[in-house]
Amino acid sequence: MDNIKESELPGIGKKYRIETKAGEKLAIIIHDDGLRELYYFQEDDPDESIPVATLSDKESRQLAAIIGGMVYQPKALETIEMALDDLIIEWIKIEPYFKCINKTIVELQVRQQTGANILAILGKNKKRISAGPDDKILADTTLIIVGERSQIKMVKSLLLNGQIS
Amino acid sequence: MDHLVLEVGTALVLIAAAAILANRLKLSIIPVMIVLGMLLGPHMPTIGILNLHFTESAYIIEFLGRMGVLFLLFYLGLEFSVNKLVKSGRSIIFGGSLYVIVNFLLGLLYGYFAGFPLYETLIISGLFAVSSSAIVAKVLLDLKRTGNTETELILGMILFDDIFLAVFLSVMSGLLLGGGASAGESIVSVLISITYMLIFFIVARKGASLFNKLLNITSNETFIIVVFAAMFFVAGFSETLHVAEAIGALLFGLVLSETEHSERIEHMVVPFRDFLGAIFFFSFGLSINPFSLGDAALLALIAALLTLISSVMVGIISGRNAGLSHKASLNIGLTMMARGEFSIIIANLGVAAGLSEFLKPLSAVYVLALAILGPLLTKQSKSIYHVLNKFFKWIPPKPITRTHNKVI
Repeated sequence: MDNIKESELPGIGKKYRIETKAGEKLAIIIHDDGLRELYYFQEDDPDESIPVATLSDKESRQLAAIIGGMVYQPKALETIEMALDDLIIEWIKIEPYFKCINKTIVELQVRQQTGANILAILGKNKKRISAGPDDKILADTTLIIVGERSQIKMVKSLLLNGQIS
Repeated sequence: MDHLVLEVGTALVLIAAAAILANRLKLSIIPVMIVLGMLLGPHMPTIGILNLHFTESAYIIEFLGRMGVLFLLFYLGLEFSVNKLVKSGRSIIFGGSLYVIVNFLLGLLYGYFAGFPLYETLIISGLFAVSSSAIVAKVLLDLKRTGNTETELILGMILFDDIFLAVFLSVMSGLLLGGGASAGESIVSVLISITYMLIFFIVARKGASLFNKLLNITSNETFIIVVFAAMFFVAGFSETLHVAEAIGALLFGLVLSETEHSERIEHMVVPFRDFLGAIFFFSFGLSINPFSLGDAALLALIAALLTLISSVMVGIISGRNAGLSHKASLNIGLTMMARGEFSIIIANLGVAAGLSEFLKPLSAVYVLALAILGPLLTKQSKSIYHVLNKFFKWIPPKPITRTHNKVI
């Protein structure tokens, strides 16, 4: 990445300077002994670094997981993928304009047409953990689907258009 | 009766108490240990079974301290990387060499005008030129300045300083320990120590894969014994070629720094370096009688003042050359003016080689002044900047624009 600059701090460790798209400047120091330091630069004084936090190795890994979205997924990202070799589990939100609304799983012939399987239907009030063929797909529910990447793609198009395009 | 262990134990308890105090006061342990050592010694009364003369144990404490020097320099060698140096930019090379040259020359002038003989003057120039890596790193960490723009330059210049130290100590040990009576003999012994050093550099570059294989030892126990044995033997062997043992340890560290085991060794060396290093500073202080400081103190304080001024000036020039602001550039000199472990090692080498005992109190007061003043002034760098800015008018105080650092 162009916006991250790496430099050596002999005897201390490594320094990464980051300038974000929003124009903010950060510096991260990784000490040889595992300690991390986070600094922030104020816009009107690029010489003065303001210490933000000092983290142990474990803490920085936890923080990295949070920032990287490995632990907690922000709301804005509705689809989550979990890859187990070729098998993928995906969350698909059913928007009101989807053609599949009010159809049952058997009507859509999900398994026959795509090979993927709907595991669960999660609604605001109702949760179907093991979805059966007669369960209706309603608007604003979230489906949990398991299948291969190509199969999941077909499911998405089936749900959106009522048929595989 | 033999009270050896009790004496060493008493010394260690006092060292530990001083270390706790230093930590509380946010001071480097170097000046604190020296002061502690100076306070104790033959002029102290005996309190019951506690003997604060440390006469019986002096040789043990001294030897532990000597081991401390070996570990300090072995670690320096390990940390050192030729690759990092090659990669370091133009501004580091400029700043680093300027710092060494200006301060060394200043030391020569000072020694000349203060009326010291040639060899003593050279040792004093060494004191002037070499910053304390330990104090500089500690100050940067304590003041949370590692993220600052000038930090890369400071640490790069320190690295440069360290190489100078290695070359300087090699040449000086050749000069002093070679015992050459004539100029010709001196040149020969200096050449021997330089050749010796070059051999280590070549071995470090070419022999890395061989050392990788030799040191491929899984057991930590065996590993540490093998590495330390080799380090001690190389250090001792160097002495026979009139190369100071400390340099032997440094060069051996350099060889191992190029291997893939360097990090593992570093982890093992650090506790020994910290423990025995503290004993070294203590033992150095112990060998100085505080009542004989008199003349040395005044001369040392003048030397410290000169170092302060030249360090700040060179820092500003190097920083400006690297495109940093005046404020960041000022930090360079203030941070780097600290003198510590290496200055003591240089002075100790001189005295061990038979130069004037006067170097000990001189270097002790010099190091004390700069090891305490340096971090204090660095902490106040903002106020110092504002004062200097009023004189030099680097930037008009107001209005402060967002881009003022690019304008000047």
